[in-house]
Amino acid sequence: MTDSARQTQVTAPSSEPSRLKTVWESDFGYAFRRSPVALVSCLVVLFLVLSAVMAPWIAPHDPFNPVTLNLMNGFTPPSTPNAFTGDSFWLGTDDQGRDVFSTILFGMRISLFVGFSAVLFAMILGVTLGLIAGYAGGWIETLIMRVADVQLTFPAILVAMLIFGIAKGFTPVEYRDQMAIWVLILAIGLSDWVQFARVVRGATLVEKNKEYVQAARLIGRSGGAIMLRHILPNVLSPVLVIATISLALAIIAEATLSFLGVGAPPTQPSLGTLIRIGQGFLFSGEWWILLFPSVTLLSLALSVNLLGDWLRDALNPRLR
Amino acid sequence: MLRLTLVSALVCALGTSAFGETFRWASTTDPQTMDPHAVNSAPVLGFLNNVYEGLVRRGKDMSVEPALATRWEPIDGGGWRFHLRQGVTFHDGSDFTAEDVLFSYLRASSEASDTASWFASVSEVVVVDDFTIDVITSSPNPIFPDSIANWMIMDSGWAAANGAELPAKDSENHATLNTNGTGAFMLTGRQPGLKTVLEPFGGWWGDAEHNITLAKFTPIQNPATAVAALLSGDVEMINPVPIQDAERLSQSPGVKVFQGIEARVIMLGFPHEAEVLKYADDAGMPNPFTDVRVREAVAKTVNVPAILRTIMRGNAEPASQLVSPAMRGYSVALAARPAHDVDGAKALLAEAGLADGFSFGLKCPNDRYLNDEAVCQAVVSMLAQIGLNAELDAMPVRNYWPELRNDNYDMYLLGWSPGTFDAEHPIRFLAATPDADKRLGSWNFGGFSNSRVDELLPMIQSEVDYAKRQAMLDESAKIIQDEHAYVPMYVQPLIWGARENIELTQRPDNFFILRWVTVN
Repeated sequence: MTDSARQTQVTAPSSEPSRLKTVWESDFGYAFRRSPVALVSCLVVLFLVLSAVMAPWIAPHDPFNPVTLNLMNGFTPPSTPNAFTGDSFWLGTDDQGRDVFSTILFGMRISLFVGFSAVLFAMILGVTLGLIAGYAGGWIETLIMRVADVQLTFPAILVAMLIFGIAKGFTPVEYRDQMAIWVLILAIGLSDWVQFARVVRGATLVEKNKEYVQAARLIGRSGGAIMLRHILPNVLSPVLVIATISLALAIIAEATLSFLGVGAPPTQPSLGTLIRIGQGFLFSGEWWILLFPSVTLLSLALSVNLLGDWLRDALNPRLR
Repeated sequence: MLRLTLVSALVCALGTSAFGETFRWASTTDPQTMDPHAVNSAPVLGFLNNVYEGLVRRGKDMSVEPALATRWEPIDGGGWRFHLRQGVTFHDGSDFTAEDVLFSYLRASSEASDTASWFASVSEVVVVDDFTIDVITSSPNPIFPDSIANWMIMDSGWAAANGAELPAKDSENHATLNTNGTGAFMLTGRQPGLKTVLEPFGGWWGDAEHNITLAKFTPIQNPATAVAALLSGDVEMINPVPIQDAERLSQSPGVKVFQGIEARVIMLGFPHEAEVLKYADDAGMPNPFTDVRVREAVAKTVNVPAILRTIMRGNAEPASQLVSPAMRGYSVALAARPAHDVDGAKALLAEAGLADGFSFGLKCPNDRYLNDEAVCQAVVSMLAQIGLNAELDAMPVRNYWPELRNDNYDMYLLGWSPGTFDAEHPIRFLAATPDADKRLGSWNFGGFSNSRVDELLPMIQSEVDYAKRQAMLDESAKIIQDEHAYVPMYVQPLIWGARENIELTQRPDNFFILRWVTVN
């Protein structure tokens, strides 16, 4: 457990080639090299994340700048010159003449941003509460874990919709579109912290009775310091696995909310919003408006999920 | 015992499906009220035409025909005498008399009503006897009987007993959810936004042409969902069919598409009275739309042919004035709309001292007109080309009208279909200076005001000579066009879809009349 935790920490991008090499030649790196699923999904994730980050530089059009749009380009099929303007678009255009490829790049940015931020938020919240519950015990533990249990009985998407609805009610109308992304992060994060809290509490219960924790307590370290400095590093590896799988779920949750029309506003379309827009043209033959954002969402969520699965197996000493 | 109950329930279920013809239909907009005098909008009036009736009604070809009045004649000194149909009863069994007509006049013309401007020329209504009533107008009004097909008669006794003597425009009363009319169908269930159930009225005075025993209306806001419901047979009819699906749907087996040109002109409206812009980036910016050059620049920038080709897919006609060419009184000489000219628009803005452009808020409904939100998005990107940065706020129609009434817009989208099928109608509602006492300009949200238009309106209303009347209508239309009071864009197409076994009549005012429906 301790070993693997240390190893995962080193997988974070590091500028020192020698360290990277160490990881590459470790057990962990070996398992990675031997797994085609991990290799492919890691490449896909890297490719998608990079293209989303680079969107403003690689997108052929800026879909958010109305000046550049030409309505006559509307409904241009993929890689076919438009009958009126002669313009050609790799993945076609939607009803407003927006380039589908560019909207996907920008949409993915928002999907990923919401996904990462929501998981980060859920992770911080869940790990903190889980640590406190596991370490403090007593009524604090009961309170936190019963709240978690109650929340687990509701589907996450329902909780997210509820939080989103309440938060939207509190935001003034004129800020709603600007705040929508942050509200979305809050809603998905709050619906997702329970997994983290449960796992961290479980691991903390095991760790807090080990000798090194008792030793730290004996020399008089405070509870907070023990939790942060001693227990936390040793419970992190399952957290990393959950975070990866949660990322896939958060991206899907965001797309679901946006598809239902309660998520990202049309002015900041995420992949889910794009799918919702495309759905209106499903019966009329403009399949590319729906298909390409859907395929992007599918590959993104699937490869993150596969990566998470592999990570879980690789970090599980019993499966080695 | 339980088994017996189940068997009899099953027999009953089979029985109704074998003998009765249930008809289910769907539309994007739920009629926001069941009160015929509270809201003057087509979804409400069109729906209630099945439940309530007026003195006159419109036939399949839009011609006026007798309904609760059997005949009418002009009376000397201005006005009309209506001879009422005898032996008519309301849905609750009470008799229809001239008192109900008088009551409905007072109710529909009251300040609380949205339909008061229908009676702008009426000075008095006099009950002569139980089945004769005189409508006195301040001057001769030759088109009055043509203009009251949507003035629906409500039972006075029922309204008084339920505290609904006055319509509730923005609130609710008994008549918002319940009805008591004389029409061919009666309302038996109303859940706003969910479903509305109608059943044929056994005591109706007319001969039933339909064979419906139960009619269920469901609002389905998402057009794709509505199409799926029609294809799967969950509903028998949808209105409208999304434009993008019309072609494919007409080729699908088991489904047919009814297509026509609606009387409705879709246009952009401006705030003419506001001092400052409400949604500008720099707060308190003086309202630039009071300058006719800015309005003209907007008219020149909106590329209507592009909207028609892509968003409307070639199913709509451009519009140059407040009425479509099919309406009486259309000005043929003014048929051209401003050409798409971005440079000319920029020059106009520069002339007005606004070469750098400005930002403002565009309000738009998203469930009222065909592809309304998409049209607004397109308008936003077109206006951006001359430096006018619009922030689009699209909302359901139930929130939309209150926003406009509260002046919460810098520009808005409006569709207008003249209930009288005459060019005078939009002048009265949209161009006349708003005046609650004279019941004028009730939908002129921006407060456009032109003294010559105001002066011409009563003359148009009382002119009997066709050529003179047309000359005055032309003059009004010219002023409204030159002033760019509105930016008319196109005449909306009318596309309905139905299962193959349904026979129906599509009226150009987009009213769906249930008594012309046959389920085969």
